[in-house]
Amino acid sequence: MKPFEYKAVNSVEEACSVLAEYGSDARILAGGTDLLIEFRKQNVRTPKVVIDISFIKEIHSIESPNGTIIIRPLVTHSEIVNSKVVQQYASLLTSAALVIGSPQIRNRGTVGGNIMNAATCADTVPPLIALGAKVTLESKAGSRQLDLSDLFIKPYQTKAKHEEILTEIHFTKLPPNAKSSFIKLGRRNALAISRLSVAAILTQDKNGKITDARIVPGAALPVWKRVTEAEKILIGEKPSIELFTAAGQKVSEVLISHTGRRWSTEYKEPVIAVLVRRALEQCTLTPNPSPKLGEGSSDLSELGEG
Amino acid sequence: MKKFTIKTIVNNRKYEFSVSQNQTLLHFLREELGLTGTKCGCEIGECGACTVLLNGEAVNSCLVLVPQIDGKEIVTVEGLSINGKLHPLQETFMNHDAVHCGFCTPGMLMSAKALLDKNPKAGEKEIRTAISGNLCRCTGYVQIVEAINDASEK
Ligand SMILES: Cc1cc2nc3c(=O)[nH]c(=O)nc-3n(C[C@H](O)[C@H](O)[C@H](O)COP(=O)(O)OP(=O)(O)OC[C@H]3O[C@@H](n4cnc5c(N)ncnc54)[C@H](O)[C@@H]3O)c2cc1C
Ligand code: FES
Ligand code: FES
Repeated sequence: MKPFEYKAVNSVEEACSVLAEYGSDARILAGGTDLLIEFRKQNVRTPKVVIDISFIKEIHSIESPNGTIIIRPLVTHSEIVNSKVVQQYASLLTSAALVIGSPQIRNRGTVGGNIMNAATCADTVPPLIALGAKVTLESKAGSRQLDLSDLFIKPYQTKAKHEEILTEIHFTKLPPNAKSSFIKLGRRNALAISRLSVAAILTQDKNGKITDARIVPGAALPVWKRVTEAEKILIGEKPSIELFTAAGQKVSEVLISHTGRRWSTEYKEPVIAVLVRRALEQCTLTPNPSPKLGEGSSDLSELGEG
Repeated sequence: MKKFTIKTIVNNRKYEFSVSQNQTLLHFLREELGLTGTKCGCEIGECGACTVLLNGEAVNSCLVLVPQIDGKEIVTVEGLSINGKLHPLQETFMNHDAVHCGFCTPGMLMSAKALLDKNPKAGEKEIRTAISGNLCRCTGYVQIVEAINDASEK
């Protein structure tokens, strides 16, 4: 590792003033599971100053005031997995946190780091976008709020300025009649960096008609977004295999229209369609299967993938 | 290089150290404290050979900067036996032939300890999840899972 200056800060205010002082010469360090690996790479510019925010207590909590859930950025993936409110009101986020890396990575890696690193394979992002999450960025100049879906410019790049720190992620609790799921396909169970994933939420009325649908594929598009073209197919209909298959195919089509045909398309096209169909199917199972420890990523045995 | 003063507890002993800020916990343990039980494998969080407990949680010491342990407690494989008496996991690993070349063993033991400290009755599924971040090139994992299962109080 090339040398850098290390500064531990104890409050958001202190972090903001150090960031204001050093600007683009500084990098924020949280759990370090992305950053320390980046620093070891050859030909990567290490920053002059590393600002360790991992000791800041005020941004390390999960709260649930008035029908919302507030997750602060230092919350680790393990803490998300163990959070009862998240399990109850946003279970797709539990499912996503559960399949990140390994226990060691989940114990250190934070939600804030996962978002701000902005890798296309960041597993907490598709569920959070499906949940309609908003994020708060703070700097010495004040704070601003953005839809999470507007935060990203391209892989590994966000709209956050050098002197800004992510301090809050919040969203509305899912209503009791909404069911959600997250499915990830990776090469191996543990440590599989997601190649493709799908976050889905379906809300049905008393008669079983779908009243709200959200589908966010992960690791598929340059930036994450809901695939409204596919969501529209579902609204007003009752769940069926045919309907979910059609929605899956629509997601595939939209994906290809964004990325163009390339070497991986032949694989991704059918796989994403099946993943979407399965994610939607999972949303109609009652009770919504609660994510369990020990379950790895989904296997796609019917496509010869495991 | 600039130094940074930290207070920490390593294997039940209190220390105050002056550490260099660019060092990982892994190299600090091995090179400064001489605790070479913790192994250095991939240094990218993939193999788990460097696993130690940080405030009771299994972490990859190759992904922790040493000043980040200020005020925290570390347990390494050297801290498993107490007064010369082996930890039950060390006994069951030997009884089940769960140690072949031994390179993965310290990390496996620490991941297993983290699990059993929290869930002394862990079953096979929880055991397999707990060691999912630890690679072993020799055993095929079966003996390791059996050894941890044997140490579990079920
Ligand atoms: C072996 C291995 C397996 C992995 N598997 C997965 C996986 O399956 N799925 C997955 O999604 N990820 C995976 N990761 C990636 C990583 O663990 C996660 O992205 C993690 O959540 C990053 O969080 P961190 O706290 O460690 O981030 P850090 O490394 O500390 O920071 C990451 C980036 O975010 C910035 N940052 C951090 N916090 C803030 C903040 N509050 N405000 C502004 N900027 C901030 C940092 O400056 C840095 O650029 C894996 C990593 C490893 C090493
Ligand atoms: S050396 Fe740390 S995980 Fe391999
Ligand atoms: S015993 Fe050799 S790597 Fe596990």
